[in-house]
Amino acid sequence: MFSELARKFTAAFITENRWQLYIKGLGVTLEVSIFAAIIGILLGTVLALMKLSEREDGKKSILNTIATVYVDIIRGTPSVLQLLIMWFIVFSTFNNGIIVSSISFGLNSAAYVSEIVRAGILAVDRGQTEAGRSIGMSKAMTMRYIVLPQALKNIIPPLGNEFITLLKETAIVGYVSLTDLTRAANMIASRTYEAFMPLIGAAVIYFVVIKLLTILLAHVERRLRASDKR
Amino acid sequence: MISVENLTKDFVDPDGTVRHVLKGIDYSVEKGEKIVIVGPSGSGKSTFLRCLNLLERPTSGKVIFDNEVINKKGVNIDLIRTRMGMVFQNFNLFNNLTIMDNLTIAPIKVKNLSKEAAEEKAVSLLKRVNLLDKANVYPSSLSGGQKQRIAIIRAMCMDPEVILFDEPTSALDPEMVGEVLDFMKALAEQGMTMVVVTHEMGFAREVGTKVLFMDEGKILEENTPNEFFNNPQSPRLQDFLSKVL
Repeated sequence: MFSELARKFTAAFITENRWQLYIKGLGVTLEVSIFAAIIGILLGTVLALMKLSEREDGKKSILNTIATVYVDIIRGTPSVLQLLIMWFIVFSTFNNGIIVSSISFGLNSAAYVSEIVRAGILAVDRGQTEAGRSIGMSKAMTMRYIVLPQALKNIIPPLGNEFITLLKETAIVGYVSLTDLTRAANMIASRTYEAFMPLIGAAVIYFVVIKLLTILLAHVERRLRASDKR
Repeated sequence: MISVENLTKDFVDPDGTVRHVLKGIDYSVEKGEKIVIVGPSGSGKSTFLRCLNLLERPTSGKVIFDNEVINKKGVNIDLIRTRMGMVFQNFNLFNNLTIMDNLTIAPIKVKNLSKEAAEEKAVSLLKRVNLLDKANVYPSSLSGGQKQRIAIIRAMCMDPEVILFDEPTSALDPEMVGEVLDFMKALAEQGMTMVVVTHEMGFAREVGTKVLFMDEGKILEENTPNEFFNNPQSPRLQDFLSKVL
């Protein structure tokens, strides 16, 4: 019984240095997640500002409409499909899976980030903007020096959640022949005809990474809240 | 200095009904005047005040500042607002900045004053309101009365030609009203042009050069404080004064 488990463990992780495949896979997973998160945060913030822009007469601006349509399309289609469209259609002549996946997930994440940023900005008291504008600061200045710093406190916790979601969603990059953690585990499973060890192993690795992230996030959140009491 | 011509403001409620909040106001504020606006809630006093620096965009009519119509396309409203301070009911100090940064951010970023010059001015004003020891704390640690005095000197740091006060004492605990009104009086004596929306009749009587009574989006009566309080003309004002005095 025990020796059977040990044999399976050896086959899944030790033989042919297979543990390296998991590490490499995790590397791909993290790489795609981090690049995508950077694109998502930058583009998401721009989209949020576009959504919040309004004309002097209070009507919707064209920027607002563009951002709304974008978010609708992204949220209304599966991310696997978005990834496949990017890989086989938009970037069909380009064969760097990491870059294409990062862009695809970044564009996807931006839609969700934009809602987080928008809600964070709207949660800042309107009086703060009025005070900034009434003293002669431009819209952009008020946003940069007064509103955004205060919005950050509302934005960072849900942004952390979005990153965790993103990290797990990248498990579909196998579709565009990238060997991330999930695909590495799957490959080893089909090689050894033993699914249990590689798949559970990969799950444990995801779990540990996300647990660490969660602890880090809780710490950041505590510090953000502590500064309220200054 | 500031005048409005046939100013109207409509608000459209989410259900589509249109409320006429200002129904054609003509008025002119001269340099050095202290105009006090009183009236029942919902009479449009605050909306009128907020139209003067275009925090509310008028629906029609003109707002004229220093002989220039400011509610038309192509006017740099940020520049106009540097000359027109505003004090809010809820203070609206910048929560993410220390008191010193609250006072100096606009002079530095908007007027391009040096940090030293801006801080020097801030320090002298902080001394005037006896709050120099609060320079490096955040607004959340101040009392309401302290916040409002800081809000007033924040406006003064820009050297405005007029300051608009939107119910500056309405959100204060009763024992803090005095310290804010006293400072506003001192400011008035110094010659600042002021437009004040308030429920403080004592202040209106003592400091106002003119008192306006607004009701249902119109200026119903305008007079010197003495005449306004002792010899009200319209029945509506007589009724109002009998309730608040």
